[in-house]
Amino acid sequence: MQVYLPIAEMSVDGLLLLGIGFGVGWLSGLFGVGGGFLLTPILILIGIPAPVAVASGANQTLGASVSGLMAQWRRGNVDVRMGTVLLVGGFIGSGLGVQLFAVLRRAGQVDLAVAIFYVVILGTVGMLMVRESVRAILRRRRTGAAAARAHEHTWLHGLPFKMRFRKSRLYISVVPPLLVGMAIGVLSAVMGVGGGFMLVPAMIYLLGMPTSVVIGTSLFQVVFVSANVTLLQAVQVGSVDIVLTMLLLAGGVAGAQFGAAMGTKLRGEETRALLGMLVLSVALGLLYDLVRTPDSLFVIGPVP
Amino acid sequence: MLVLLCALAGGARAQAPLVPPPAAAPPPPSVAANTPQLTADLSTNQVEISTGFTGSSVMVFGATERLIGPQTDEDVIVVAWGPPQATVVRRKVNVLGFWLNGPSATFREMPGFYAIAATRPVWQVLPEDARRAGRLGLDALPLRASGSQAPAFRAALLELKQDDGRWQEYASPVTVAGGRLFSARISFPDTVQTGDYRIEVLLVREQRVIARQELFLRVDRVGTAASIAYVAHTQPVIYGVGCILLAALAGWLGSVMFRRS
Repeated sequence: MQVYLPIAEMSVDGLLLLGIGFGVGWLSGLFGVGGGFLLTPILILIGIPAPVAVASGANQTLGASVSGLMAQWRRGNVDVRMGTVLLVGGFIGSGLGVQLFAVLRRAGQVDLAVAIFYVVILGTVGMLMVRESVRAILRRRRTGAAAARAHEHTWLHGLPFKMRFRKSRLYISVVPPLLVGMAIGVLSAVMGVGGGFMLVPAMIYLLGMPTSVVIGTSLFQVVFVSANVTLLQAVQVGSVDIVLTMLLLAGGVAGAQFGAAMGTKLRGEETRALLGMLVLSVALGLLYDLVRTPDSLFVIGPVP
Repeated sequence: MLVLLCALAGGARAQAPLVPPPAAAPPPPSVAANTPQLTADLSTNQVEISTGFTGSSVMVFGATERLIGPQTDEDVIVVAWGPPQATVVRRKVNVLGFWLNGPSATFREMPGFYAIAATRPVWQVLPEDARRAGRLGLDALPLRASGSQAPAFRAALLELKQDDGRWQEYASPVTVAGGRLFSARISFPDTVQTGDYRIEVLLVREQRVIARQELFLRVDRVGTAASIAYVAHTQPVIYGVGCILLAALAGWLGSVMFRRS
């Protein structure tokens, strides 16, 4: 079933897109992340131009995160105050990111920049996740129970502009969450991801937020930042393809529910180890693409 | 489609009533003086890109006054030109083991689509200077680059454009039926750009172009694909907000429909 994508100006197999959406949605439901980090590289792999893949990936992430946010909101797991601070940083970051994207596009280096961002970020995050979860699994084997992490005081707690975050039971400076939000915003714009897979560890380890509110608050940030990226990409680059987004979402929302149902049967550490390995293998695949000798030494494209 | 083709073919015949049927005896000289040497038409003058578009093709057909073929040294050439499309060719270079886009050449004045078909290759039937002047053949296209001037860029452009089907040289033949009726198929890939296309039909006799006819064709998005591209282009803010709302709605609907708990 061929479908013509009006913005990408090409036709693709609609069933293939539904399948990709379902697969990525299933994994994202299983691991509780948006799945944008898998989706954008796959789209580029099947021949969608990188700008369209990134912009539509952000739009898809928005749709995929909405239902999760609503579920978490009903359970009262969203720290709106922390979310808003993260969001302010996220808006600034995504604004900068889209500018950076436009500059890269003019220089003809979008594909390279997207690939390098993916390799570096996914490689680092994947390695950290695998290491952390393997340690946790080993510790559980040795002691029989996971050791509780003590709330540590670091230099981060000495910064000014302190604010009380009641839901997170924190009294910290707004500077670290602003910076975290900003960094995620830049990545979101350049990589077409929501950034949940990075935001969750950053909130737990950098900000010291309790796990119960982390998922809900990160979804809060992801929904609004990806909405902002969608709008900015639509206006500045003009590369959001709604037909592509809707096909991916149709498969994705179904897959996510199945994945989430299965996710409840897995243990936390094992899930994190699997997710870490998945993230690492995507990074390695993209790295291989960068270093292998290309089939054709030349590429053609429209003048930006 | 077939009905349309027949109808248009009928229309073409009506426009050229002086062309005798192939089986008829040669017309008297007085009538021949008024007979057009060449008459051609298209199976359709609009290619529509709808949401199910996977590429399309258009039939160019017509008739000549005299017999076509090597015996009479008479040949038909069909050339299709798409709207100009500036294209940049980049060469990948290896830096520290990574392949990245290096030097580039920008070709500003080149057709986004070009296809040539003929009863015999043009270099066999026309002298070289006439072939170059008429830009008949990919190597006769005036490709001036800004940026890197290395000939490899031009060669890569020719190769890659032919690979994706947007430039075609004798990809399909001009077939002749009954000595006078000719037809050629021009196929457009799914990546075809929208705009006005010009189709030139040339009649060559004794190394000279003795008749030519220009036909026009429009490639346009229609239906949903057209509205989406139009809104995205003219009202990007509204389009962006629309995308946000639609995605959010789809996510919410999906979670309601597929809830597993």
